[in-house]
Amino acid sequence: MGIGPEMELEPAQGALLVADESGRGSHRLVLPASCQAPLPALVQQAIDSGALLGNGPIEGQVLLEAGAWRLGLSQLGELQRTLAGRGLELVMICSSQPHTHVAAAGLGILSQWPNSAAPTSPAKPDSDLQVHQGTLRSGDHLETSASVLLLGDVNPGARISAAGHVLVWGRLRGMAHAGCQGDNTARIVALQLRPLQLRIAGAVARGPEGAPPAGFAEEARIVAGAIQIDPAQPIWPLSG
Amino acid sequence: MAATSTRYILICSGKGGVGKTTLTANLGIALAKQGARTAVLDADFGLRNLDLLLGLENRIVYTAQEVLAETCRLEQALVKHKQEPNLALLPAGNPRMLEWLQPDDMRKIAAMLGEQFDYVLIDAPAGIEGGFKNAMAAAREAIVVTTPEVSAVRDADRVIGLLNSEGVKPIQLVLNRVRPKMMANQEMLGVSDVTDILALPLLGLVLEDEQVIVSTNRGEPLTLTGNSSPAGRAYTNVARRLQGEEIPVIDPSKERQGLRAKLGRLMQTKIF
Repeated sequence: MGIGPEMELEPAQGALLVADESGRGSHRLVLPASCQAPLPALVQQAIDSGALLGNGPIEGQVLLEAGAWRLGLSQLGELQRTLAGRGLELVMICSSQPHTHVAAAGLGILSQWPNSAAPTSPAKPDSDLQVHQGTLRSGDHLETSASVLLLGDVNPGARISAAGHVLVWGRLRGMAHAGCQGDNTARIVALQLRPLQLRIAGAVARGPEGAPPAGFAEEARIVAGAIQIDPAQPIWPLSG
Repeated sequence: MAATSTRYILICSGKGGVGKTTLTANLGIALAKQGARTAVLDADFGLRNLDLLLGLENRIVYTAQEVLAETCRLEQALVKHKQEPNLALLPAGNPRMLEWLQPDDMRKIAAMLGEQFDYVLIDAPAGIEGGFKNAMAAAREAIVVTTPEVSAVRDADRVIGLLNSEGVKPIQLVLNRVRPKMMANQEMLGVSDVTDILALPLLGLVLEDEQVIVSTNRGEPLTLTGNSSPAGRAYTNVARRLQGEEIPVIDPSKERQGLRAKLGRLMQTKIF
């Protein structure tokens, strides 16, 4: 028996050592979400219980999933020694804390961001607004690293994409991509929102069909993982 | 007339088969009939057929290729129309010409024509590649031809974007092969649907007309034989508007009478 490595594990209080049963990869040492308890005790406990779950003591390479734990050089060094004493070699650290990454680099341990997303990528350049005047015709592609305000239409076959919000003072009938660098809170607003396709961050939706409501600007945003269209709010910067 | 007042007009569409060459031939004849000295330049070197439509194929001795190579004078290459001496055709060279022709060469040809003519109509090839870019280099203004079909409108939109970026101005629109019945029944894109997307002034509206096919095969443009057919009348009106006359463009789908048309119009009206 044992817990498969493909299962998502979120230990509430204690740390968890998940044995790699395929024998090819490394074991996973998962730290709890709360960063309060003393680390050495947690790790000892995890190793002991891991040995109980599996068929004998676990040995080999270990991937540490540190989550939001802020680990210094000394803490990490101690952890490495504790593991080494049990025949375990710390080879990689997965962490969302830049501090931990620095410490890992100091010890010569590989480190990675959770889901390989660097903290700089979901930029929110709310205040930064680029204004572009003129209609985007078929084949045109307007792309900015900020939010964009287009004074004109986006014709079928044209594309507009921005790292922030996409605002169209005109008819949006082509393709729009807001938050193209991963910002889930980005929105698409247009006086007439009838695009062929909408994209916000990683979500994709086909445009609505039928006649648009006259005289109302519309806004698309992500609600519960899906793109939803509502009447637009007359506020700037867009928030909430 | 001074060369500076010559109008260099590109006739283009993006999509093939929408009626660029037919418009060029008819417009050329109509303008010539109205007294303007007109040259039509076939820039579709790969698939030339403006000479066929004008019925001048068997009179071609030299082409633009020889003029550029300076093996003949421009006057030798120009083919005057049989019935309309105001109209002359400068034929395209062989398809191989495409490989070495540069935008500068087209400008050179157009400038030479400008010395003798009031209008230089340039029949662009379909597509947006080299051939089209060569043709565009010689033009100052443009007429975009499209049909009320989604694909033709999409391609026209792309072409307009390219013309804008090259500073070709003004750009006017001719909507070709319109079927009023289908438009009234909303089985075809309406005039406003097209002008909404392309946002260009409408220079003319040409109805679908079987006579166009007959005239093409005969090599006698409709505008040459008289104003009997609807398409012929439309082409003549395009020429007159181009000369600055004020002739209103009538939306045929709005013109239809009868109960069915009225119902159709009623359904088009949006109530909110």
